[in-house]
Amino acid sequence: MRQIGMATALCALMGTHAVAEEFKWAGTTDPQTLDPHAVNSAPVLGFLNNVYEGLVRRGKDMTIEPALATSWEPIGEGEGWRFKLREGVTFHDGAAFDAEDVQFSYERASGEAADTRSWFSPVASLEVVDPYTIDIKTNAPNPIFPDSIANWMIVDKGWAEANAAATPNKEEGNFATLNANGTGAFKVTAREPGLRTVLEPHDGWWGEAEHNITRAEFTPIQNPATAVAALLSGDVDFINPVPIQDAARLASNPDVNVIQGIEARVIMLGFGHEAAELKYTGDAGKPNPFQDAKVRQAVAHAVNVPAILQTIMRGNAEPASQLVSPAMRGYSEANAARPAYDVEAAKALLAEAGYPDGFSFGLKCPNNRYLNDEAVCQGVVSMLAQAGITAELDAMPVQNYWPELREDNFDMYLLGWSPGTFDAEHPLRFLASTPNAEKKLGSWNFGGYSNARIDEMLPIIQSEIDDTKRQAMLDEAAEILQDEMAYVPLYVQPLVWGVRSNVEMTQRPDNFFILRWVTVN
Amino acid sequence: MLAYILRRAAQSVLVLLVVGLIAFSMFRFIGDPIDNMLGQEAQQEDIDRLRTELGLDAPLLVQYVRFLSSAVQGDFGVSYGQGRPVADILAERAPATLELALVSGTLAISFGIVFGVFTAIRRNGFAAQAIMSLSLIGVSLPTFLIGILLIYVFSVELGWLPSFGRGETVELGWWTTGFATRSGLLALILPSITLGLYQMTLIMRLVRSEMLEVLRQDYIRFARARGLRTRTVYFRHALVNTLVPVTTVIGLQLGSIIAFGIVTETVFQWPGLGLLFVNAIQFVDIPVMAAYLMLISVMFVLINLFVDVLYFFIDPRLRVDRSEASA
Repeated sequence: MRQIGMATALCALMGTHAVAEEFKWAGTTDPQTLDPHAVNSAPVLGFLNNVYEGLVRRGKDMTIEPALATSWEPIGEGEGWRFKLREGVTFHDGAAFDAEDVQFSYERASGEAADTRSWFSPVASLEVVDPYTIDIKTNAPNPIFPDSIANWMIVDKGWAEANAAATPNKEEGNFATLNANGTGAFKVTAREPGLRTVLEPHDGWWGEAEHNITRAEFTPIQNPATAVAALLSGDVDFINPVPIQDAARLASNPDVNVIQGIEARVIMLGFGHEAAELKYTGDAGKPNPFQDAKVRQAVAHAVNVPAILQTIMRGNAEPASQLVSPAMRGYSEANAARPAYDVEAAKALLAEAGYPDGFSFGLKCPNNRYLNDEAVCQGVVSMLAQAGITAELDAMPVQNYWPELREDNFDMYLLGWSPGTFDAEHPLRFLASTPNAEKKLGSWNFGGYSNARIDEMLPIIQSEIDDTKRQAMLDEAAEILQDEMAYVPLYVQPLVWGVRSNVEMTQRPDNFFILRWVTVN
Repeated sequence: MLAYILRRAAQSVLVLLVVGLIAFSMFRFIGDPIDNMLGQEAQQEDIDRLRTELGLDAPLLVQYVRFLSSAVQGDFGVSYGQGRPVADILAERAPATLELALVSGTLAISFGIVFGVFTAIRRNGFAAQAIMSLSLIGVSLPTFLIGILLIYVFSVELGWLPSFGRGETVELGWWTTGFATRSGLLALILPSITLGLYQMTLIMRLVRSEMLEVLRQDYIRFARARGLRTRTVYFRHALVNTLVPVTTVIGLQLGSIIAFGIVTETVFQWPGLGLLFVNAIQFVDIPVMAAYLMLISVMFVLINLFVDVLYFFIDPRLRVDRSEASA
């Protein structure tokens, strides 16, 4: 805020009014690092998208568009991809961008110390053809490779090496943890971790500026009530997220607009497929009913998703039929219908499966990970009770939740999944494949769901160039998962942003806030 | 006297060690920091490697001894959440907390004593009754609610004061101060009222009851009988004699103003140690939590030690009793 004082003083000197293009925003999480390869998490990557750029980037509708690469084409019959690089691009410190930086950033982002290296598992090698052309060779044909590297950000080789930040270091930190030098539309001019980060436009940016921001400041505000008050009083221009229960009240305020959309994250119920016995409640030790697909279908029919959306989410979310939302590539139109709410059908299915009198089990749920997660679980418990099955809810903070799931301590659990690649292949790889540490498959498939056909199709989907054939297999996979009800998809989590009414901006479904689309009127 | 202080100091070290051990055994229930440090695409091998690198796979006691041995050398480790030395982060955040504590402590003490004396002297007056009733709010409303109420009235509705943060700060060496700028001073108002209100009502009620007690004493009657001016009677003779217990309570409350600023700092997004601690809990940032808790317990232990020693000087009877016993 020191700079604000100076800017105001400067304006007073020049006799002008307050700077209109000054923009302040608040979010719940501070990016824990400015290093684009150290932590693969949405708060970090979302923030750094304003500072660093990749070869490609996502547009307002999530489509892939040129950024540091001007064009790209497949090499041969699926050997890899050739990228033509943009000429005349400079980093914030003035250094020129060329293929050497891309090669360096590949090595940096795919190395042992990088959290982003899973993105590069399909890559065999990166070759520099000339200073503005690179070839990325893949192990197998990879049709969605350009889609999967939109968050792979390019770092200047000379800058990183000169500042002893040639490899990311998330345990100890290094120069790149606190400083940034990208090619993006904004540069970081002040950084106080956990308190504030100041961005100013990069004068040498290659693109045409759509924004009118001269200075932007980000403050993390953890307490939702404080964030809402800051927005209402005009101390900040934008907050993300708006607490769902406050959305209607804010929308009725003329000074504030609420922007709503659907996020990429699908909230679902998962089951202990592998567990032979129930682990919780009085029925612990009895055979696990959830191994029977009929019981899982009964759960799907018993949960009244429209009621959850209306009461708990206050009409801000959409029901989900599969593991990805309709906005994702590879969404299966053929399987767009989700099981209807029908308690009688649920009871009939339970009776058919041999549980006419129901049973009881333990439901694990986080209480600070997803919007209103605990309330949703409470709703699920009471709805399941109407179908005759008794769930004992155990809700806990997310810091304790993942270790519990990894230890298999659940009968049923709540999970949200947002595909990093915005493609339906992603949840198949992480949630539906038989867990296999060696092949790095199914690492979030806590229940150990296993289906031979899905395991067989996944590598083919990953390398199928023909879109129609690929979609046919994705449709088949979605159908299998729906028939077997491997997971019960509930709804797509909403995005609720609050913004002062004199500000215009674009909300992207990945919940990334892109500063260069902001106009302050 | 020296033996007493040494014994107290030895006890204090023991208390610190126990507090640290309890804190360390609690951290396991707060959760696992690994998931916050790695993205969703991390594999089991990455998780295991990071756990080993951070030393989280070692038994609890080993972790604690490791922490202690580097803490003694002034090394509090590196924050998991920020990737920076914890000592740097604590030094950066301390000025915000201390300035807030100073302002709210001063407010609480001065208004507490003034109102306390006033309500004792005019105890049947309308104003005194009103102050006493209002003070119930300070005692009974939770800090969180008071903070939010103040924000809604003075920031959202009236737009007079900032709703969060510390305003513009000025650097003085490693210290940052909000006292030097207008926005920094404005930003202090609401948080210091929120933080100091409870202490103020506490001090006020204490001063009032002590005053009422003292005013019944014979020496006050004699002072009045001697024809001393009322002001002299109230402030020279009565007030000074109430200050012995009041000073003790103020000393102890000073510690809690610093330590329990957590709620106020969270509500106002005040960039101090309390906010740092809350964020550290959410992130399971063990080095920050450990260093903060040790810092706070050192502070409390020191204050207690100081108060104990102070008794020797304040209360002559303590000294007399001891010297007689030893004679």
